Order: sequence, then structure tokens, then C-alpha cells
Amino acid sequence: MKNILTIVRKEFARFFKDKRLVIGTLILPGLLIFVLYSLLGSAFYEGDKISTVKVVNPSAVFAPIFEQASADSENSSGLKFETVEDNSQESVDALTAQLKAGEFQVLIVFPENFDEEIAVGKPAQERPEITVRYNSADTQSLSAYSAVTSLFDQTEDALSGLFNINYTQSGDVSTAQEATASYYSMLLPFLILTFLYSACMGIAPESIAGEKERGTIATLLVTPIKRSELVIGKIASLSVLSALSAIGSFIGTFLSMPKLMGGSIGDMFAAYSAGAYVALFAVMLSAVLLIVSLISILSAFAKSVKEATTFAVPVMILVMLLGLSSMMFGTVSALPVFFIPIYNCVQVMAQIFSMQFSPLCLLVTLASNAVYIVLLVLLLTKMFKSERVMFNK
Amino acid sequence: MREMIRAVNVRKTFTLSRRQMAIEKTHSNKKVALDGLTFTAYEGQIYGLLGPNGAGKTTMLRILATLIKADSGEAYVAGHEVSREAEKVRASIGFLTSELKLEDFFTPAYLFTFFGNLHGLSEDVIQKRRRELFEKFGIDRFAEVKVGDLSTGMKQKVSLVISIIHDPQVIVFDEPTNGLDVLTAKVVTDFLAELREQGKSIIISTHIFSLVEKLCERVGVIIGGKMVKEGTLEEIRGGQTLEDAFFEIYKETAGEQ
Ligand SMILES: Nc1ncnc2c1ncn2[C@@H]1O[C@H](COP(=O)(O)OP(=O)(O)OP(=O)(O)O)[C@@H](O)[C@H]1O
Ligand SMILES: [Mg+2]
Repeated sequence: MKNILTIVRKEFARFFKDKRLVIGTLILPGLLIFVLYSLLGSAFYEGDKISTVKVVNPSAVFAPIFEQASADSENSSGLKFETVEDNSQESVDALTAQLKAGEFQVLIVFPENFDEEIAVGKPAQERPEITVRYNSADTQSLSAYSAVTSLFDQTEDALSGLFNINYTQSGDVSTAQEATASYYSMLLPFLILTFLYSACMGIAPESIAGEKERGTIATLLVTPIKRSELVIGKIASLSVLSALSAIGSFIGTFLSMPKLMGGSIGDMFAAYSAGAYVALFAVMLSAVLLIVSLISILSAFAKSVKEATTFAVPVMILVMLLGLSSMMFGTVSALPVFFIPIYNCVQVMAQIFSMQFSPLCLLVTLASNAVYIVLLVLLLTKMFKSERVMFNK
Repeated sequence: MREMIRAVNVRKTFTLSRRQMAIEKTHSNKKVALDGLTFTAYEGQIYGLLGPNGAGKTTMLRILATLIKADSGEAYVAGHEVSREAEKVRASIGFLTSELKLEDFFTPAYLFTFFGNLHGLSEDVIQKRRRELFEKFGIDRFAEVKVGDLSTGMKQKVSLVISIIHDPQVIVFDEPTNGLDVLTAKVVTDFLAELREQGKSIIISTHIFSLVEKLCERVGVIIGGKMVKEGTLEEIRGGQTLEDAFFEIYKETAGEQ
């Protein structure tokens, strides 16, 4: 145990006393992501343009809100609301065509008698439905749409449960857009996994293949330290460092998300319970340990840092594909899936982000990953005992 | 006299990688490095493994240091068998070879404490050893300089003091003066003699005759992984210079093969 701590302390000293390493792995990736995403975001949103929102059958309840937003259009909301008197179907169809053509950005259609109906209050199925149309193929329309959504979100809180909103894309795809949460549930596991993996890849090969390459591992191997202690000390410290590096990337991502996605990212993170965050932390921790162990094993086989990185790239592609799988095929809930390493992390994270996570799946994921980690540590210990691996030339 | 190191019929064959086969210009992927090596070194003496390049000296010393395992045969260090009681062997030897490097990034002072901790030494002992050894080898001035910025000779000295930080009974030293200037080489050889006075047992490998004549009580002449002649320095010399005796032995061996 004491030896494990000695190794951990040395790995930390190696890392934190090296300014280049600290900046290169903790600060730079997060900063780059932030700058990149923010630039992308502003290119995406053309923030200074004022978007026009046409409203059919204006509601008296919303009138002051829209007026307020129109008044703010110069500085914050960027939205200008215009009322359309003609509420016939032909008129709505014509407006939809104009929307598609990019003549204005968002169309809101209130049902007739909207104000009376919400004054009465109705059960969920019978609530009046507001239709919001936008053009998903047009970036300005998208950003105006997300600004409108957040306006409605604020109002919905005040008038909770009195009406439904039917968001409709008016571009080539016309399915209803799901709530923001499901969007993140698809994107975030992929991002998180990618950050974790690249963080581990930036740290583990240096410490294992690097020590082999430079001949410093042999100096450790002639001391009385147990191979298992050396392995555990390395995995533990590399995991902490990788996690820190990944956190740097997350911070960069989170800070740039509002710019990239538009809308109310703050609300979205506040929406998750403390339990969800604990679960997320546990999944990420097990993912880091798993990935660090995996890359450590590849690094132990390699003769040099360069070779270790070469070995780790195909695995990275595999891991990223698994991360993408939830974006492409959605989530699954069949229990056996949660025995598949990495993939189980993706699935549980997707569950957490879409606010429908099952404790059983989480448990299976953590337990099976723990078993894999122990097996990998045992394998790595065996490799550290093998001269064929440690001294391959 | 107590036996401190004993090798009995030690064999070691390396499997060559494709790259190594190309370098060695051979079609066989097996390379016999040790071919049944047997020898004994005693307490309080310096034993010299003398042999040409590729004889298997380093391979034997690495087996004693538990870095690699023999295919067959047995080797004992301070009464412990090297493969069965590897951890005890590691605790009782100091192994030094140019193969063992120190991390460039750290200072001698940091590394000294780090390895002291791995050997389970208390902070007091580490400080005391550090004062003694750093002074003896003139490392004090460089204690806080990163290893990467030290000269080759100074790096060697730091490696040396770290390898004997735990005051081991047995010292295994591969080519002790390799790459050192005459001054540093003398510091090292004097130190080995001093360790012997303290009762330590030392085994060195070398192809330098003068070093063996100056330091060693016993000599093992190793050629092609075999012990071709072993005995006290006088027995090996047989009245000639070590150099002449060696070439005589070498010719006989070559004649046999
Ligand atoms: N890791 C290895 N893989 C393959 N062959 C090896 C390995 N280590 C040593 N050998 C071979 O084993 C033989 C003995 O090598 P060794 O290093 O023990 O010789 P040595 O007596 O120390 O020589 P030198 O004086 O050059 O240091 C050599 O032919 C060498 O090429
Ligand atoms: Mg050698």
C-alpha cells in the first residue's frame, strides 16, 4: 500500500511539475474546444441578425411577452414578432411556403379561442396546442426557433400545464423535434467518451511505453516493489490525471455549449437530479479506469510512445463508434447490453441524459466494468512480470 | 568462506525478433546466450566475470538481478533462489548497469528519496545515506539539478548511489567503468574496494584486464555462454599477465570448437 502511494506521488510529481504537460493536457484541450465551438457557434447563429417570427391568431396571454421580446430584439432576444390576421388554412400554407423559402424564420400558430381554453384549464390530451414551425435546414431559423422555445419554456413555467406545444420542422424533415434532453442524451455520451479516451491517450502511453523506451522501468523493476503495486499505482494515478484532463475538456464544452446550441443550457443542467450526477460520475470513473487499463496494456506491449499511440488509435475509433451508436440507433434497454464494456457506459450515460435511467442497468454496468478492470490489472501485472514484454526489442 | 552468489548450470536462450534476426544476419530465431554456466562467488570478495563482447556476462548479471529468468539451472544470491524468491533477492542486491536509467525530469535528491521509499527505508535513514553518498561522489552541488541536465559521469554516479541506497549485502555491477573518465573511474573502483572492506560481496563484469587484476579475488572466464575457466586471480593467471593467460585460454577454447 505504501509503495502504491509512493508510485502515485511520483506520477503526480512528474505531471504537475511539468508546466508543458499541465498546459498541454489539462488546459489546452479545454481551451481549444471552447474557442472552436464558440467560433462554430457564432458562425452558426449569425447572432446579430434579427429574425422575424410570424404569429397567427395572436394570444392575449402571450402578447406582452412577445412585445417585450420584440422590444429587446436589438440586444438580447434577436426576435421580432409580427401578427398575421388571416388565419385560414390557405394563409398558413402560404406562410409555411414563405418560411421554407427563408422569407421569415419562425411561424407560431395559436388555435382559435386559445385564451378562453387555457382560462378554463383542461386535461392533458385536450389542452390547446400551439404549433411552432421552423426550417431545420436554415441555421438562422434554427437559432430563432431555439430562442422562441426558451421564451415558451419561461412562460410554460408560469402557466404550467395549461397548453401543449407542437414543434414542427418545416424543412425537408417534418417529424416533431424532441425535447432538448433527448438531443443531449445522444450527443453527450459520444463527446464524453471521446474526451475521456483522448485524455487517457495523452497520458498513459508516456508513463508506461515511455518508461520502457527510456529504460527507467528497469530501474523500478530491480527494487523490491511488487509488480502488482507498481501496476495499481500507475493505473490509479494515470486515471486521476486522465480524469482531470477530461474535466478540462468538459468545462470547455459546457462553456461553449450555449453558444453552439443556443438556448438555455443552464436550465438543462439544473434539470438533472443530484442522483443523476452521482450516477454519471460513477459511470465516468469506471470508464476512465477501463480505458486507462486498456491503453496501459497496449502501452506495455509497445516499444515506444509512438508505437503505443499507434496501437491506441484503432481502439479509439472503435470506442468512438460505440459512442456514436447511441446517436445513430438510439438507446437500448436489454440487460445483456450492459455487460459489454464501454458500450454499457454509452448506454447508461444516454439513459441518464434522457432522464430515464435504470438503477439496475447502472449497477450491471459498474459491476461488470469492475470485473473487467480487475482482469486488466491482473493481465498488466502479468505483463510487468514478463521479460518478453518488458524488454522486447 | 561463505558463498554469496552461486550459479548452477544456468541456461538462457533468447528468441530473436525479426528485426534482431536481420541485425544478427541469422536465419534462426534462437540465440543461446548462456550455455550451462556454473560459478561461485564468496562473501567479502570481488568476483570478476571476464569475457569478450557477446559472451553472456550481462545476461548472467540480469538473471542475478531478477530482471530476466533463466530457462533452466539455478542461481542463488545471499541464499535466495533468484526466480523463486525474487523479491528477497531484490532487497539484498544493488544492481547497476547502463541499462538502468533514471528519469531525466527528476533531481537526484527527489529520486534518492523515491527509491529510498521503495526500499522501505525511513526518512532518517534516507537522509543519512544521502549525506554520506552525495558527499562521497560530489553530488551535493547537483542535488537539485534535473538528471537530464547532468553530465554522463554525474548521471552514472547518481545511478550508482541510488542502486546502493539500501546498503545491500551483494553488489552486481555490469561494466563498472564503462564510459567514465579516468578520474571518475578511479572514484568508482576505490569505492568498490571500500565496499569490499566493509564485507560486501561484489560481482562485476568486464573485458578490461587491468580492472580485474586490480580488484578481483576470483575470476570466471566466460566465452560463448560457457565458463571456460574459473578460479582465484592467481590460478587464472598461472604466472603470466592476465592478458596473456586470457588469450591462451581463448585459443584453447576456439581450438575445441
Ligand atoms: N534481449 C535480447 N534478445 C536477444 N538476444 C540477446 C538479448 N540480450 C542478449 N542477447 C544476445 O545474447 C548474447 C549475450 O549477450 P550479453 O549482453 O550477455 O553479452 P555480454 O557478455 O554482456 O557482451 P558485451 O561485452 O558486449 O556487453 C549476445 O549474443 C546477445 O546478442
Ligand atoms: Mg554486457
